[in-house]
Amino acid sequence: MTAFIQTLVSGLSLGSIYALIALGYTMVYGIAKMLNFAHGDVIMVGAYSVITTVSLSANVPSVVAILVSVVVCVVLGVTIEFLAYRPLRKAPSLAVLITAIGVSYLLQNIALLWFGSEQKAFHLALFDRIKPIVIGEVYINGITLITLVTTVVIMIALTLFINLTKMGKAMRAVSEDKEAAELMGISVNKTITVTFATGSFLAAIAAVFYGGAYTMIKPTTGSMPGIKAFTAAVFGGIGSIPGAMLGGIMLGLIEQFSKAYISTLWADAIVFVVLVLVLVVRPTGLLGKKISEKV
Amino acid sequence: MKKFTKVLALALVSVLALMAFAACNNGSSTTLPDPTPDADGTITLLIGGVGPLTGPYANYGLSVKYGAEIAVEEINAAGGVNGMKLALDFQDSQGKPEAAQNAYGNLIDKGMDVSLGAVLSGETASIVAAAKNDGILVLTPSGSAKDAIADNDNAFRVCFNDPQQGTVSADFIADNGLATKVAVFYASDVDYSNGLYETFKAQATKRNLEIVTEQTFTDSTNTDFSTQINAIKSSGADLVFIPIYAAEAATFLTQAKAAGLTDVTFFGCDGIDGILTKGISTEDVEGLMMLTPFAADSTEADVQAFVTAYKAKHEDKAPDQFAADGYDAIYTIKAAIEKANLTKDDVTNFHSRLVAAMTQITVDGVTGTMTWTADGETQKAANALVYRDGVAVEYTVAG
Repeated sequence: MTAFIQTLVSGLSLGSIYALIALGYTMVYGIAKMLNFAHGDVIMVGAYSVITTVSLSANVPSVVAILVSVVVCVVLGVTIEFLAYRPLRKAPSLAVLITAIGVSYLLQNIALLWFGSEQKAFHLALFDRIKPIVIGEVYINGITLITLVTTVVIMIALTLFINLTKMGKAMRAVSEDKEAAELMGISVNKTITVTFATGSFLAAIAAVFYGGAYTMIKPTTGSMPGIKAFTAAVFGGIGSIPGAMLGGIMLGLIEQFSKAYISTLWADAIVFVVLVLVLVVRPTGLLGKKISEKV
Repeated sequence: MKKFTKVLALALVSVLALMAFAACNNGSSTTLPDPTPDADGTITLLIGGVGPLTGPYANYGLSVKYGAEIAVEEINAAGGVNGMKLALDFQDSQGKPEAAQNAYGNLIDKGMDVSLGAVLSGETASIVAAAKNDGILVLTPSGSAKDAIADNDNAFRVCFNDPQQGTVSADFIADNGLATKVAVFYASDVDYSNGLYETFKAQATKRNLEIVTEQTFTDSTNTDFSTQINAIKSSGADLVFIPIYAAEAATFLTQAKAAGLTDVTFFGCDGIDGILTKGISTEDVEGLMMLTPFAADSTEADVQAFVTAYKAKHEDKAPDQFAADGYDAIYTIKAAIEKANLTKDDVTNFHSRLVAAMTQITVDGVTGTMTWTADGETQKAANALVYRDGVAVEYTVAG
């Protein structure tokens, strides 16, 4: 029983990190209608920003490091959008997809050049202060709880932001129909920039929790969680914010339970088989919008 | 005309094929000549070493070379072996198997009497293959891959082979009473890791070590070890055997300590050498054990003498495992010469007598007391290093 609960805890921990990353994916997809494959690598840059800031001096407060990471990620996300995606606004979506993959590799290689291929320890003094919770023999890492709570808070905040604010309304309009939105006086470019800024902010937060939970960072750190989180977003219904949350948590649980009870070798395969099964039954994902096809 | 060209081409091809065939046969089955005395009647035995002295793996080659040089100097200063002097010719291969094979040919032309094989596994394999029919003794100090000395009855090695470390680790753990319940954590997609795991498991069963859980990971799942750590925790293991490489070991240890897995011993092999450069903190590496036959801070007199001589010659740098292997290789050759009763007056059938002596000698070297099996593997005890305050020191039962 202890082992079961312990696996549940590590599944929730992994799942909430996936959810956090998936929220970023789904935001950008839902509004700009594009898959930002560089999202995972923005997370990697965020993690390196924290490491670099902390290493500058022994008494840099953790909060400052997190803020630096947020600023770096937001600036990076907006810059990528401006330089790589905006010129392709009218291009076929395939071209944008390929560009996103290109940006992803570009970021990885720049990191390789600057930071080297050797893994680096991610350490934030803030996380040391959070004591682990031990119930019976179940050991809950402090970071796990904070990640879970933060992810839920962010999910609610994002939903409110999109449904209640003026900018949120503009985002929904752009998502619905770019040209009509433009005609109604909404600046599509500005709206998409804000979308990318929000997505990158989420990436920075994900970077902090990912680093805290998994302790080591290297230039390819972002790619695998990026792919998993994308899967989570599709799983939950891409474009849907609660869907990303649900998909992320589900994916984390499936992965950890397969690892613990079936095989570490098969865990990834099982995750993707479940994804295929879900998509066969519900092509738009668990909480995805139903698409009515025009005949 | 066209037909003539065809015939000519055919003829040329057959000539080339014949030449290639002849080249293959050339040198085979003709055993090398015995050492010949110099003009003044003395015999100097040429020991030929090959290894990377430049390029990215130069540190390994230089270590072996420096270690071997010290042994040669010591032996010559003490009057040589049975009236014969030793000379060392160490050639650069940059770690490339083709270059190593050329260097071997070069050394044969210079009249090499004993070959030190090569330093890295790949280049050792190419020399061992090239030397197959030469009858010469090939004693590699450090080529550790299982197959590096395969298919050549004259090839031996000073170091453990990779999977052998698994067996020796199980023995070390049992002999020192480090644990009775053992967990194994290994990379299921890496040959090195798999090989060590297999041999460890076999020996652990023989030594009544209970393997309570076996946890694995692969290259694509090497960031999150939480489920494996949970499983190890609930398995009640006293010791975790980690036959993996340094980067993953650093991640694993850091996550394990953060998850509260603190009351077990972690035990790795040579793969985890250099773990401190992989981002792990001094606190998290504390108490980690590493299997190695050579510890530079050992209190044994012969080790201390070697370390002192090495430091004196090389800017106070302590010798590593490779240097110790090079040093022991030379003393092994000395022991084999003595066992075979090869003297300056009797060097007939030098090569076959030397090879035959290899399985009969016992060498008390700086990497332990060694004997050899007919398939070229060494048998010796191993030490373990343990990390204390960020430094690897020799494990002693009290510590």
